[in-house]
Amino acid sequence: MIVAKDVSLTYQDGTQALKDVNLRIKAGEIIYITGPSGSGKTSLLKLILGMEYPTEGHLRVMGQSMVKDEEDNIRKLRRKIGPVFQEFKLIRGRTAFENIVLGMRFLDFTPKEIIENSYMALERVGLKHKRDSLVDKLSWGESQRVAIARAIARKPSLILADEPTGNLDLDNALNIMDILTSLRDENTTVIITTHATHLIEDKEEGTFIRIQEGRLKMERRGVEAYE
Amino acid sequence: MNKRAYNLAYFLKESKTLFKIDFLSNIFSIISIGLILFILSLVLLGWRVSSYVIQIVEREGEINVYYDLSLQEKDINYLMEDIEKIEGVSSTSLVSQDEAYNRMAEILGKEAGILELFDENPFTPFIEVKIHIEEVDSILDELESMLGIDYIRDNKNIIDRLQNILIILKVLGVLALVAIGVSTLIVVSHIIRQGIYNNRDQINTLELLGAPDIFIGFPFILEGVFLTLLGGVIAFILLKLVLGLGYSKFFTALPFLPLPAEESLLIPIGIFILLLSGLLGIIGSLFGLAKDNEKA
Repeated sequence: MIVAKDVSLTYQDGTQALKDVNLRIKAGEIIYITGPSGSGKTSLLKLILGMEYPTEGHLRVMGQSMVKDEEDNIRKLRRKIGPVFQEFKLIRGRTAFENIVLGMRFLDFTPKEIIENSYMALERVGLKHKRDSLVDKLSWGESQRVAIARAIARKPSLILADEPTGNLDLDNALNIMDILTSLRDENTTVIITTHATHLIEDKEEGTFIRIQEGRLKMERRGVEAYE
Repeated sequence: MNKRAYNLAYFLKESKTLFKIDFLSNIFSIISIGLILFILSLVLLGWRVSSYVIQIVEREGEINVYYDLSLQEKDINYLMEDIEKIEGVSSTSLVSQDEAYNRMAEILGKEAGILELFDENPFTPFIEVKIHIEEVDSILDELESMLGIDYIRDNKNIIDRLQNILIILKVLGVLALVAIGVSTLIVVSHIIRQGIYNNRDQINTLELLGAPDIFIGFPFILEGVFLTLLGGVIAFILLKLVLGLGYSKFFTALPFLPLPAEESLLIPIGIFILLLSGLLGIIGSLFGLAKDNEKA
């Protein structure tokens, strides 16, 4: 699913976000990436989504080489990804339902599937009653759940969730973690970054990556540890 | 529902939203585009009218031959026979002094009273010669060498002048078309770029979700086409008003001007302006989108 070989990322201002990252993620895995703020968690997700390109090394996502020359193909690749952004990136002035539908209009779904998937996704995140609410009027936690609903309604092969529990109370945070980890049962690869390590400490399965100063330390638990 | 129809409803809704975001400047743009296209339609109008007049004058190629008034009826008949033998002449007919007077009275219409100021009929009889216009030069040469002819009046000068006017109008038309095309493209692409700037967050999100450029750009193209089409409609309405006014006031005062029917001007020019406005909308929007992509 994802293969990184000696990947480094240095921003134009000279900041080195990632250094010599080597990574191999299989389909259906769940990955938790932790690390302090500014350690490079978001940068790694940006590389996987094609928002940034490695300045050194090679990165392939679902067989697609992540280089600037491949921008058009990377755009197509994004259609197989369900991103959940730290700042949600919901479209203002639209309802929760419209935001979810908009994320699917250009995918290979029929109008009926788009509507059904959107309803199901809203139900899954517990926001069916807010379908017609403008996203501008939703709370932080609700907006986060709409962003997750938009990602999962797309039935992606890969979910990238950047700090999906940031600024949420414990109950809401646990609820969102449960929703995201449950996607693994649908053979979706899920990558979650979080600085809230207490939310994942008791997880028995998954790949745990700790990033510190741009370098990775990986630990596998449960089934993944034996594969 | 068909996926295209499903998305078309979304595109229309999005372009409506885009229009509302910059409502006032969009309204001003529509008015500007409308006025620009109206100027073009006036140039086209002049172009078409003069082409029509030239066509009519050419088709009605005729020469009036004023003979020596001392000629007897028999001599006049011989003269007419000789004229008919000239290559390029199709027929001749004698217009008497009274008929010449009646023809002018008919042309002047309501103003015919002016003729009553004359004590006597001021017109002279003449021979009306129908000709093939392309042979006019050789016919004139032969007529000038004939005896018994005082004066020849042809419409060659009028045709030449009209043709010169037509050339000027054609050049003006092409220049106006280019100027209007460029200014409309600039206005539309500016509006589109403004819209893109106002919606950059939404565009960025759609790109991150993998939306193709055409999906992201289509509402902007629709907005551009909507702006220019409305401008085209304004130009069409103004043209209709001007034509209506022109035909009722100005042209009835000049009844001897051979003019085409009002509809035969309004419909083709109107269709052309509307099609052109739509086309300029598409090109202007694509230009605005392309410039934005370059910037990105």
